[in-house]
Amino acid sequence: MARPAVILVGADKGGVGKTTVARTLLDYFGAHQMPTRAFDTESPRGTLKRFHPDVTEVVDVTAVPDQMKIFDTLSSSQAWVTVIDVRAGLLSSTLQALSDIGFLESAKKGQITFAVFHILGPSIASLDEIAETARYVGDANYFLVKNFINNTTFFEWDPETYNSYFKRIKNAIEITIPKLNEMACEQVEVAGTPYVTFVANKTINGEPGNNSFVLRGYVRHWLGNVWAEYDRAKLIDLIMPKVETGARQAAG
Amino acid sequence: MIGESMPPRSSVTIVASPRPRVGKTLLARLLIDFHRHEGRPVAGFDLNSGEETVAQFLPEQAKAAAIGDVSGQMAVFDRLIADDGVAKVVDLGHDSFASFFALAEQIGFVEEASKHDIVTAVLFLLTPDASSIEAYANLGRRFPGVLLAPVHNEILGPAQQRAKYPISPGALLLRIPLMATALRRAVSHAPFSFADAESDPGISADNLVELQHWLRRVHIEFRELSLRTLLADLQSAIRIVS
Repeated sequence: MARPAVILVGADKGGVGKTTVARTLLDYFGAHQMPTRAFDTESPRGTLKRFHPDVTEVVDVTAVPDQMKIFDTLSSSQAWVTVIDVRAGLLSSTLQALSDIGFLESAKKGQITFAVFHILGPSIASLDEIAETARYVGDANYFLVKNFINNTTFFEWDPETYNSYFKRIKNAIEITIPKLNEMACEQVEVAGTPYVTFVANKTINGEPGNNSFVLRGYVRHWLGNVWAEYDRAKLIDLIMPKVETGARQAAG
Repeated sequence: MIGESMPPRSSVTIVASPRPRVGKTLLARLLIDFHRHEGRPVAGFDLNSGEETVAQFLPEQAKAAAIGDVSGQMAVFDRLIADDGVAKVVDLGHDSFASFFALAEQIGFVEEASKHDIVTAVLFLLTPDASSIEAYANLGRRFPGVLLAPVHNEILGPAQQRAKYPISPGALLLRIPLMATALRRAVSHAPFSFADAESDPGISADNLVELQHWLRRVHIEFRELSLRTLLADLQSAIRIVS
């Protein structure tokens, strides 16, 4: 087994599509047959839990018992990947907590793979978050995600300002989530299933669904583009570096 | 499996050309009426703007459609993919040509259709211009699973450049025979059904005899095409088994 990996999905602002990104990640790891679990910090009722009930647990990431539930089980869990959907406004404080419990230190030593998916909002305020979070993250794997799923009219930032922030985090990788047609987006919300389940025209119980073929086509096409971004960012290699090394050795 | 219990196979036939006024609507009308003549359930999708559309000629069987927005796209493609034993004929207007195939490609229409055992055929009106030749070749590259058949509408003159229209295995060059001017005029007033021409007061006895003769030639072409499709299907099934 690979060393445990923790992916923090967060933003300091709500409504930027954090949970959307978390859902695409769960689908992506599922498609790669990687055992994955998720924690939804939108206690007491989590959106992520609704779409991925089997692998998701709702927690309060600022409470010690729940921190234990997440971080003390990293090695013993069957899951290789732990995805944490951090509630809006809690990204910095969660990182602070991770620093306090020595988690960031373990990540630095390479005992744990740690990555942050920072979902960017439209305003300059969310650029300030980058500076804020950069303090904690250091050389963690930092992904700056521009989420266009709802086609918000953003990223009209001055490139110079953007780049100056962007450079504060060494090796940050930019990921773009393309727009998904509104009606398709809405239908998946109504169906309340993972994207892949919607595409396969199944219900959450695995029964045949009654979803529009056109909308399924839109979602499949969109999800393919999102996954292509994850491929480009070499997400699988990040989580299973040993396998890659092994394959290289075998090839050499 | 063969017998009364076997439901009719669903099929999708798209009549297409990037050019206007080459006989698409005539061919779509003939196809719809051919299915009716053979006693098969049929539905026509009229993706045309303007006058003399298939929906005007056959208002019972063909409905106007548009794929500019998602609701329209769902009304067309969700219906095309339904495995309901209905033969579907799409009269694809030249101004919807690019957007129709772009959408079909994006949502994986042909792959989904073949999963449901639905045959998808594109009947492409053959014209000698370079842009049509390129559009035809482009369809072949983008949709390898589609039965692609060029159509020679004889009223457009000799089939120049026909060698530039390669024919899919299981298809053939379809011909729409030349029709006498008087007869052509008689069948060009909407609504008009070839299948019901006998009871149409607008068709004289002489015209009817000529029309029936002409239709027989058209139907031979259509039957030949469906036989070849069936044969190609059988051959690929045999290849899979052996």
